[in-house]
Amino acid sequence: MVIGVSTGGPLTLKALFRELPPLDAAFLIVLHITPEMDYRIAQGLDAAASMPVKLAEDGEYLKSGRVYMAPGGLHLQLTGNNRVVLCEGPRVNYVQPAADVTMLSLSKPLKGKLIGIVLTGMGRDGADGIKHIHDIGGITIAQDQQSSTIYGMPKAAAQTGAIDYVLPPQKIAGKLMELLAPL
Amino acid sequence: MNRRVMIVDDNEYVRASVDIICESAQLELASAASGPECIEQLEGGFRGVILMDIMMPEMDGWDTIREMVDRGLYPGNVIVMLTGMGEPDAKMDGLQEYVSDYMTKPFSPEELLDSIEYYLTLLNAPTDHD
Repeated sequence: MVIGVSTGGPLTLKALFRELPPLDAAFLIVLHITPEMDYRIAQGLDAAASMPVKLAEDGEYLKSGRVYMAPGGLHLQLTGNNRVVLCEGPRVNYVQPAADVTMLSLSKPLKGKLIGIVLTGMGRDGADGIKHIHDIGGITIAQDQQSSTIYGMPKAAAQTGAIDYVLPPQKIAGKLMELLAPL
Repeated sequence: MNRRVMIVDDNEYVRASVDIICESAQLELASAASGPECIEQLEGGFRGVILMDIMMPEMDGWDTIREMVDRGLYPGNVIVMLTGMGEPDAKMDGLQEYVSDYMTKPFSPEELLDSIEYYLTLLNAPTDHD
């Protein structure tokens, strides 16, 4: 599962992950964040979540029941949908890391589910990526307007026509518990 | 334990109301009436949660953040935008990574304090990266 999120993200992620029990999926968060704050945000989320949270490292394989956060100042791509590749390069949608870079690196899964989520944030990062996830058979979710700190990224995602569910964080948690098996 | 908060707003009534809210929670409040005053306090060593108005004369909130970043004054701070505007403008492009949260005035004291306390917890946590 890949989650794209920006302004308002730290508290929204906390609200989402504190509702989730350990689930049989690897969670990858792409939050627009600086290298100065990435570790602290991951630590704060780790304290709130039932699943362990850490910064993703170059070359590592994502494991089920764990939450990974893309570090600040680099883009993150996945090879084979589960191996982390951290890369430099120009900003995309004015940001780095960009959710679009990560989401567009995904390929049609041979087994299991692929889920993409776009949460609160300014701009349109995640819109191209979420459409790609939809096009390769994934399930797509966007945060609703009322609960979004800034209804920019979720709106752009919804405007692609590729969103399956528009929900507030608590209901996103409920939907994920429906879609994913417990650990 | 860092309990420091800075309100950056040209409206003295907003600064006064944030002062009352912060005092009730035993937070140490620094007050700046403009972007240059904010930069001056950061140059003087302020580190903590910064509540930043957007619409200010001379140097607006976005310009102030750019100045912070250019002068290397961002590390050790968390920025929460406080604004009367419903949605941010395109001047925010490229600054998303520096803005953790965004609250529209009038804000509820509880919501503001919850946000401040969470970000202070993050700033106060020991990290391997320090």
